[in-house]
Order: sequence, then C-alpha cells, then structure tokens
Amino acid sequence: MSVVIRVSSMPTWGRTVLELRHVSAGYGEATVLHEVSLQVGQGDVVTLIGRNGAGKSTLLRSIMGLHPISSGSIKFLGRDITRLRPHRRARMGLGWVQDDRGIYSSLTVEENLRLPRVIGANAWAEERLFGTFPVLGQRRRQMAGSLSGGEQQMLALARVLRMGADVVLCDEPTEGLAPVIVDQIAEILREVASSGATILLVEQNLRFATTVAHKHFLIAEGHIVDHLDNSDVIARENDLLAHLGI
Amino acid sequence: MTTFLQASLNGLVSGGFYALLAIGLAVIYGMLRVANFAHGAVYMLGAFGAVILYDMFGTPFWAALVVVPVVIAAGGVVVERTLIRRLVPLDPVYNFLLTFGLALIIQDLVRLNYGVVGQPYAKPAALEGRINFGPLEYPTYQFVVLIASIALTCGVWLALNKTKVGMVVRAATERPSLTEAFGVNVNVWMIPVFAFGVALAALAGVMAAPMRSVNSAMGADIVIILFAVIIIGGMGSVLGAVLAAYLVGFLQELAQMYVPAAAGATTFILMAVVLAVRPSGLLGRQEAAR
Amino acid sequence: MNRRKTAVSIAATTALGVSACGGGPTALGDDQAISNGKLTLAVVTDMSGTYSALTGKGSLEAVKMAVDDYQEKYGSDAVAQEIEVLSADHQNEPDIANTKARELFDRQGADAIFDVPSSAAALAVADLAEEFQRIYINVAAGSTDLTGSACNEYTYHWAYDTEMLARGSAATLTQRGEKNWYIVYPDYQFGQDMTAAFTTHIEANGGKVLGTDATPFPNDNFAASMTKALEIKPDVIATMAAGSDLTNFVKQYNEFGLAEAGIELAVGAMFDTDVESIGATQMSGTLYTTDWFWNQDDEAREWADDFKARLDVRPTAVHAGDYSAATQYLEAVQRAGTDDADAVAEELDGHEFEDMFARNARVRSEDHRMIHDSYLTVVKEAKDVQEAFDYTELVETIPADEAFGPPSSSCDLG
Repeated sequence: MSVVIRVSSMPTWGRTVLELRHVSAGYGEATVLHEVSLQVGQGDVVTLIGRNGAGKSTLLRSIMGLHPISSGSIKFLGRDITRLRPHRRARMGLGWVQDDRGIYSSLTVEENLRLPRVIGANAWAEERLFGTFPVLGQRRRQMAGSLSGGEQQMLALARVLRMGADVVLCDEPTEGLAPVIVDQIAEILREVASSGATILLVEQNLRFATTVAHKHFLIAEGHIVDHLDNSDVIARENDLLAHLGI
Repeated sequence: MTTFLQASLNGLVSGGFYALLAIGLAVIYGMLRVANFAHGAVYMLGAFGAVILYDMFGTPFWAALVVVPVVIAAGGVVVERTLIRRLVPLDPVYNFLLTFGLALIIQDLVRLNYGVVGQPYAKPAALEGRINFGPLEYPTYQFVVLIASIALTCGVWLALNKTKVGMVVRAATERPSLTEAFGVNVNVWMIPVFAFGVALAALAGVMAAPMRSVNSAMGADIVIILFAVIIIGGMGSVLGAVLAAYLVGFLQELAQMYVPAAAGATTFILMAVVLAVRPSGLLGRQEAAR
Repeated sequence: MNRRKTAVSIAATTALGVSACGGGPTALGDDQAISNGKLTLAVVTDMSGTYSALTGKGSLEAVKMAVDDYQEKYGSDAVAQEIEVLSADHQNEPDIANTKARELFDRQGADAIFDVPSSAAALAVADLAEEFQRIYINVAAGSTDLTGSACNEYTYHWAYDTEMLARGSAATLTQRGEKNWYIVYPDYQFGQDMTAAFTTHIEANGGKVLGTDATPFPNDNFAASMTKALEIKPDVIATMAAGSDLTNFVKQYNEFGLAEAGIELAVGAMFDTDVESIGATQMSGTLYTTDWFWNQDDEAREWADDFKARLDVRPTAVHAGDYSAATQYLEAVQRAGTDDADAVAEELDGHEFEDMFARNARVRSEDHRMIHDSYLTVVKEAKDVQEAFDYTELVETIPADEAFGPPSSSCDLG
C-alpha cells in the first residue's frame, strides 16, 4: 500500500455540520476505528473509500448512533450528539440509507415511506416523490418485499428524502445494482445535493463516487489515511483500485 | 363423524387458547427480542388474580376479566422498565436467564402462599351447561372462550395491519435499530407492546381459571408448548404464531383422539418437520442482519 | 458379608433373650441397645412439588407425633431415650432420593426411612435399605413391586398400593353391576400399573374395559377423552390422574356433561387435598378407595385434631400411615430392645396390631406387606359437608384379607 499521508481533517467550504473527533469503535476486543477525526461542511458531498473491513460502514453507523463508540466525540450542527440515541439524531436532521437498503418487507411501499418522521422544511411531498420515482407510485399498496433490488434502493432514497434530512448518510447505495440503475441513483443524489443537503457516502465504485461527490476520504484499517478531490481520484485510479482490491 | 367434528372443535378451542398466549409472546419477542420465559408465570398469575379477587372481594368473573390484566400489565411495565429493558442490548442468553429466573421466583412466591394444591374457581352461572349444534353438544364456557379468542385474534390482526400504531410495531419488529434511525423512539414503544403482551397472557389466565386447575405450576408446562408454537410460526411473526397455535391445538386433539400414545409428541414432531423444511418457521423471515 | 450378618443376628438373639428374662432394656445399657446412643428416623419426601400437600411437611410432622407419643408412653422405660427425626427433600427425582437416602444411612446414621412418594424414588430407597441393612417403611408410593420383584428383607409397604385401589374400586363397583369401563390414565409407571390392576379386577368380576386412553403427563386438557367417553358410553369412566391433572379431569368431566349422560366417575387414587382444590360440588358422587380418612371414627378424628393443631390442615391417609409406620417401628424397637435392623424386622414380621390408622392389621412376613382394612368411599354431597376437608363418606369396608393382593410369587423372604 503506497498511500502515506495521515491527516486528521481537511478544510471545508461551508459551515461545518458534522464533526468527528478522535472517534474509536470496535466489536468486542477488536478495534475497527482508530481515533478518526473528520469534518463535513454544509452542502458537501463526500465519500468514504476503502476496502472491505476498513471501517467505512462502522464509521457511518457510529455517526447515526447505530454502533457504540468507545471514545471520541461527534458533533452535529454544533451540538454534541455522542450520547444521543439514534432517534434523537434522526429528529435533528440525520438521514440514513442502510447498506442492505433497510426495506421493511412486512410494510407496504406507502407505509415504508410514511414510517420515518418528517423533520426538515425541505422534506419532499409524496407527489414529488412519486413524480421522481413513478414505479413507487404504481406499487404504493404492494408489500415492499416484493420490489426488485433497484426499486428497493429507490424506496430507500425516497424514504430519506421524505424526511427532509439535512445530512444524508448513505451506505453503499450502488451495491449489486445494474449500471442503468446506478446512473439513476447518481442523478437523484446530485439533485439532492443541489438542493443544499449534505451527503456522506460509503462507496467502492470510484466512477460513481466521482460523478456524485467532490471530496473523498480514503480509509484503511480504521484510519483516515488520505483525502482526495475528484482530479486526484481520476489521476490515481489504478493505484486506488489496486488498493481496494477490485 | 360426530366424533371427528367434536374432536375438531376440541382442537379449535385449545388452539384458540394457545393463540391468545402465543400472540403476546410473539409481539414481545418481535419488538424487544426477548424470549419471555416468564409468560407462563404471567398466565398463572392471571388465573390466581381471578381467584384472589373473588376470595377477597367477591369480584365476579366479568370484572376480573378487565381488572386482572390491567393490574398485571402495570406490574409487567415496572419489570420491563427496571429489569428487562437493561438486557435488550445484551446477548439473548441474559434475557433467558432473567425471564426464566423471574418465572421461578413468581412461581415459588405463589407456591409459598398457596401451596401446590389447586384453587377452586367457579365459572359464571350464565356460562354453565352446554349448547347444541345439531348432533353436537359442547360446553358453553369452552365455546365462549373459543369465540372470545377468535375475536381477540382478529382485533389484534386489524390493529397491527390497519393502524399507524400497528405499522410502527411491525417496523420495529422487523428492524428495531433501523426504525430508531428514522426518528422513532422504539424504546418508548416497547412499553405498550410489552404491557399488551402481558395483559393478553393474564387474560388467558383469567379465562383458564374456571376450566383448568389453578395451581402454581400451571404456567410452567404451557410455556414450553408456547415456545414450540412461536418457533413453528416463525419467531416474531404474529400471524405465524396464530396459525401455528391452531395447528398445534388441532393436531394435539386429533392425536389424542386417534393415536393417544403420540399426543404428547405431536407438537414437537411438527416443530421438527417445520424446522427441517423451513428453518425460519411457517411465516418467519430470515432474520434481518440489523 | 455372611459372617457379619451372623454376628449381628447372634447379638440380636442375645438381646431378645435378656429382655425375655425380664431384665428390661435398661439392663443392657443404652450404648449397646441403640447404635450411636440415639435412634434416628428420617423422612425422605417431596417438600415442594406435586406430592408435597399429600406428603411433605405433614409426613415429617406425623413421624414427630409418633416419636412424641412413644416417649410419653414409655418415658424412662423407653429403649430409645434419645430420638432424632431428620428429613430430606427429594424433589420427586429418583436420583436425588438415592443421594439423600444414601447420605442419611451412611453419614447421618439413620436407622429407618419413612414415606418416600413416587414409585421410582421409593424403589431407589428400597435398594439402599438392602445395601445398608437398615429399615425402610414405604407409605407414600403405590407400586406393588416394593413387595414383589423388588422386595427385600428391610423394606416394608405400609399403606395403599395399586392393587388395593383396584380391588376397592374396580372389583367392588363391577360386582355392584357397573360392568362397562373406560379408563383414562397418565402415560407413566403408576398410570400403567393402575390400569393393569383395574383391568384385571374388572374382568375377573365379569366386567369389560371398553377402552383405555393414555394421556400425556402433566396434562390440562382432557377434551378428547371426554369426547371418546361420550361416544362409547361406558357405565364408569375411571381416571388414574393425580394432583392438578385430576382437578382438570374432573372440571372437564362436569363441563362435558358425562354425569348427565349417566357415566359415573371413579378415581384411581384420590386424597382429601384433591377434593379441597376442586370443590366438593364438582366432586360429589365420585367413588374412590382409601385406607384411611380423618373422620372415619373417633380415634382417627382425635389424632386428626392433634395434627390440625400442629399444622392447621387435616391429615391425609399418607400422613396417618406415616404415623402408624413410625409408631409400629418404635414399638418393634421397644420389643426388640435394640435398633438393630434384623432384630427390629424380626419383631415386625408377622406382627398383628390395631392402631388409629390400620385396622385388623398384620405385617405379612412373606413379602413385608402390611395388610389392613380398606374402604370404598364416595365424596359427599356439598350440602352434607360440615367443615373443610369433611368430604368422605363410607360406602363399604373391605376386610384386610381381601383388601390387598396375595403375596407375590416373585418375592420370597421366607
């Protein structure tokens, strides 16, 4: 592995909305995140890149409060949320798209959309959602478990849009999806970003990452080892792909 | 033929009874991921509640049907908040140890006060006797229990599937932590769900008092069957639990009628077959990862 | 082994010789007559489980009452001046019964063990009695194996057994014209033994068993059995269920209207505690056999009053049996002038006596069965019940010679 620079943070353009300081977390005895610090500014679209097991998902889950951290602190909108339970963080404006899409198969499509609380002023109305995702409108009464993988990912995104979250945490939204659908998802994320929301993505698909985001953190073995912009990623694509083992 | 019909009716009655108990167990497991081994003890407390209220205040059966579940559910909430709640994030074996220990404590406290001898409890006069269905004659009380359990089961199903509350419960049952990430305080929702499950078990206890022996051990035997029922139905699936309850009741009665030697084993044979064919139970889903 | 036994029996003979000469037990000196200087009686019983109301604390108290009465009766002439009564809870587990009884015989110097509910536990204790050559008087277990294939020279069977219950209920009722039977039994040893014994006596008296129904144990739902009985329409439905299972059975017998359909209820083994828990209204008219009930006569009632003063409940037949067993054991020690098991057994064998429990009683030396009168009884009408536990009414006395089966050919104690 040739990536060398160890950084603790990088400058952001907008006001800082999310700030992690020295966050460590693990499973049992094994530490997965080592003193991770990072800042995300208002309107940033940032990806976390790293190979499987590097700690990307754990980091995202820790921000949402779904994984306990052993030390460090997390600030959201200037407030320390380290000890807040996930539902409180959600109500403050954190949105969540789970890596397995997190579809409730025992709820209908409509119920899946209505379950999350509407929290922000920029929440999407149902008409807008069904305009953007016509297939969800057609299947609103169907059980969500019967949707295809791509449709489920649409639903997962639609669900978080309906909440109107300020910061969307999105764990591998393209995993296992056909290229056509990946393009659609990229388009939707760009639309979300253009409305001013902040997005933190976990991604292994570098092409996708560069079409959606403009900043990237490289994570290896629980450390943030580098930060890159789109031109860095394109220039070092082969190097990074080798690192990711793809 | 008459005998077969009668046996089928027996099966429905015992299935309806299991269903009432299994629903509570299933919703509690679904929402809290707690295999509540104290469920049988709650059922026993329900029956004793009816007996004690009658002995002390002459409370009639109809009032006991309301008072006992409410009081016991309130007690259940205290236990949930002070003890069970703390174990939700831990390994399931702690839940097992706690609820099993609670069951033993409750059982022994009752036994200390009432011994092992059954307590007499008379059924309400209005439900004495038998009703006729053509060639069939059936004890009125047991038939009313069947109707009541069917009505309650339908009510629970409607509440779960057609109301906002039901939607949240289903969501939290399927993916508890994800549901929190959508701004739902699952922890607070556990209170009414746990109370409801406990109340149903206590209600089943009150309904059992006139037709079964009211003694401190009455819940210990039934809890084993109930766990088999919710495993057959699929852990956490309420509809599965109801289906499995009727299936188990029905098979037990038919076996008792035609192959008595196998009656005790039918439930567990059924469980083995279901687990071999569908490891997640009749209507169970593969457990979501998170 | 043989040598030791011989030595022991010589010692016993000597002791007997002395006492026959009128020297009296005190002449021997306590340390010779009573091993360790004190007599130790032990009650191995179920203190908290299914049989605890039937046996349990009451059995322990009954043995203590026997000791008190013995000491009062003999005072300073008592062979055993110091008597201790121990108890152990076997929790209805044969292996626990085995461990506890072994400890009692081996380490705590128990001279005799009493009670021991459940046949499997009783058989385990009987084996130990033979191994340690100490006395075991069974009162609470009903298996005829204790005086049959599993008999030994140190084990006695004092109260009811399955054969006695079958003779009382099955034989008597069949003779009275109840010819067609349907038997429902819990599918374990006691239930199977009872069903076999009932069947034998029903058929021997010209009756027929139309069907039998094995049920799980424990069981709270007898709907299938009731349905079958209504279809078969026997004269009598007999249940071998006990404890809470019996309560369930009777509640459902009434619910399904078997009485109105003319089907009588006979219960294999029943005690007052069962009637108390079900309620006399539900039970009245039920026929069953017992070898004692607390208000059968003045003598029994007087003892039952003493018992009630101590424990605030009425004694069961098992409690009375324990009192009788301990009393007769102490009397045998008194006559033998020693607690040596062989000498005491010799005194017990063939002994004829009467006490508040056992009438026209004799201890058979062939198999160590204590035979006595038994009674076919019926649960009173609710309106005739004067006080709690006043449930039993005599139908017929079965004389001692007919009450129990003849000595089993599989047991020969000479």
